Amino acid sequence: MNPEINIAQYITYVFAAFSLASALMVITAKNPVQAALALVLTFFLSAGIWLTLEAEFLAITLVLVYVGAVMVLFLFVVMMLDINMAQLRAGFIRYLPIGLLVAVLLAVLLIMVVGPAHFGLEQFAAPTRHAADYSNVRELGRVMYTVYVYPFEIASVILLVAIIAAIALTLRRRPDTKRQDPTQQIAVKRADRMRVVDMKAEAKK
Amino acid sequence: MALSDYLIFSAILFSISVAGIFLNRKNVIIILMSIELMLLAVNTNFIAFSYYLGDVAGQVFVFFILTVAAAEAAIGLAILIVLFRNKRTIDVEELDSLNG
Amino acid sequence: MSFEIPDVMPALPEIFILSMACIILVVDLFLSKTSRGASYMLSQATLIIAVLITVATFSEASVLSFSDTFVRDGIADVLKIAVYIATFMVFLYAKDYLKDRGLFKGEFYTLGLFAVLGMMILISAHNFLTIYLGLELLSLSLYAMVALHRDSIQASEAAMKYFVLGAIASGMLLYGMSMIYGITGSLDLAVISANAANVSDNIVLIFGIVFLLIGVAFKLGAVPFHMWVPDVYQGAPTAVTIFIGSAPKLAAFAMLMRLLMDGLGSVSAQWQDILILLVLLSLAVGNIVAIAQVNIKRMLAYSTISHIGFLMLGVVAGTEEGVSASMFYAITYTLMSLGGFAMIILLSRKGFEAEKLADFKGLNQRSPWYAFLMLILMFSMAGVPPFLGFWAKLSVLSAVISVDLVWLAVASVIFSIIGAFYYLRVIKIMYFDKAESSEPIHCSKDMSLLISVNAFAVLLIGLFPGGLLSLCLNVVSAS
Repeated sequence: MNPEINIAQYITYVFAAFSLASALMVITAKNPVQAALALVLTFFLSAGIWLTLEAEFLAITLVLVYVGAVMVLFLFVVMMLDINMAQLRAGFIRYLPIGLLVAVLLAVLLIMVVGPAHFGLEQFAAPTRHAADYSNVRELGRVMYTVYVYPFEIASVILLVAIIAAIALTLRRRPDTKRQDPTQQIAVKRADRMRVVDMKAEAKK
Repeated sequence: MALSDYLIFSAILFSISVAGIFLNRKNVIIILMSIELMLLAVNTNFIAFSYYLGDVAGQVFVFFILTVAAAEAAIGLAILIVLFRNKRTIDVEELDSLNG
Repeated sequence: MSFEIPDVMPALPEIFILSMACIILVVDLFLSKTSRGASYMLSQATLIIAVLITVATFSEASVLSFSDTFVRDGIADVLKIAVYIATFMVFLYAKDYLKDRGLFKGEFYTLGLFAVLGMMILISAHNFLTIYLGLELLSLSLYAMVALHRDSIQASEAAMKYFVLGAIASGMLLYGMSMIYGITGSLDLAVISANAANVSDNIVLIFGIVFLLIGVAFKLGAVPFHMWVPDVYQGAPTAVTIFIGSAPKLAAFAMLMRLLMDGLGSVSAQWQDILILLVLLSLAVGNIVAIAQVNIKRMLAYSTISHIGFLMLGVVAGTEEGVSASMFYAITYTLMSLGGFAMIILLSRKGFEAEKLADFKGLNQRSPWYAFLMLILMFSMAGVPPFLGFWAKLSVLSAVISVDLVWLAVASVIFSIIGAFYYLRVIKIMYFDKAESSEPIHCSKDMSLLISVNAFAVLLIGLFPGGLLSLCLNVVSAS
């Protein structure tokens, strides 16, 4: 076996192992900030795995969109809300046995189906790697605006709906905040602010 | 590397996310993160298949899942904030004004 | 690589709805609170024009476009027209309810139109990708609409539950899609169907189908994935509940049909048993638990679950007759459910929600006319001949019997007889109990007219069901 491929293989295994470990941290973390940071780590390591599958564009997108935007949004919300963690973790121990049981059963079942018996090298031979000048971005871009132009348009509508929904749900006009209104400030007349009082001079006695 | 290695990785990731939903029934934020893990597992599946089938469609699907998941997270967190403003908690089990 | 510029004409209704939704979104920004009615009028005009466009370009032949990600056939056209009409009725029924509760905002209409667009995309989907995106567009709009009543604790709780379970369902659906993609090597429904028949690894295929069906069952609200349905129906503002409970059921039918018949029709033996299980559970739980409900919105939610069971029954048969029966069922159920929820809106007024069964007590003394309309709707939902619901159930059952699943048909009939009890109880309460409130029923003229038309449509189509039935059969066999 080619030693170079062997190294790539080991790197993938290491990434996968750490990725799964940090995924476990996400669901067991005591604190939502820790969970969010563990999730960031999971995304980074998974992006590494995606790179070994020659999905360069998506790997970068995962880091940019997920780590850069979505997780920051999560962290913002976690910081913004005053969450009582002790109270939220109360059921954790109680659900632990059943949760573990379900997860292990599901994992065993899934691995039996997707294991080497059905998806080994005999059924799906490893494809030859693309040459160094191959561009994954070009390949994706070529179909994105031609074959998949209809889904592309739908995705833009979905993002629009997300904007409308997020604003409609969270934008509040608070009546108690004081704000400046420049048009009113400019339009103000002398008569609105100043009153000339006609009074007789009073002499000091 | 065989395709099954990648699929097993995403299968375990998927199981972890399901366990996360089970274990953190009270905490919506962690549930939302578990859902992100679930989508990560699905995406890895698609990318692995796409590579081994030599078909770019799987990667296109992942591109759209990423887009939609970002929109979904925005709406989910917006609903979470509305809920928190009303109840001062994000404890799902305390959501009992609707009796099932 | 060869690429043809797609023909956009088949997607004209979608393009029109999208443009109008964007225009209404912008116009609404410049409207003052008192002229908000303009958004409403524009939305209604949009829906009417969309009906005209779709009718004018109606054709039974199936046309693929956008590199086969989009399909337009007779089924799609009929379902889309039904969606426009249902949404038109929802907007009309909801208007006064929204005004009374300070929810009369442009967002309700723009999100509603985007949800309509999502349903249209779902109905015309011919690719896993478009199914997923249409479904998400619909769901995201609905989540936001449920939460639109921001100061209501119930509404925000319902929205959160709806969102979390909906997102998990999407995850399951996608996992199933990824397995099926892996084993068939395509996202295109026609190619999947062709390749699935030659798949040697049956276990993986069944496995993918199981995850796919879990996701679909969540979205449909089929037992055992129905937990969100009663909570969302009860917690959401009734103006949104009437929307969730009507038009999206048409899209849900379309999704089921596209996935199982167009996509996996060649391997129907693999999913038939799972679907039968879902049907039986839905019918059992829906009909039996509904009896215990005192909240009429929850009762109608369980009734939805049992109707979903019937709706899936036609797809179980897997024949042209079965699919057209299911389609007929989806359309008629939408009409009945619109009427049922409209009655709840009708009896509610500012500061009072007519949510309890007890609120219907003695309706006959308060208003014999409305009690009569409700009587028609309840008889129809229960499946009493000659009302519409009877024909819907009959056509589905005859489709099931024709594929030799007599035991399933018998079980369904037994459950629907159990279910008839709680519909008839509503009638008993209206006619034989003493009214608890003597509050006069106020409602605007247009709503009163529409609700009468709605109930009489149930009666009239029930007396002459042939036209709609043969239309459904024609479009299904043509595609």
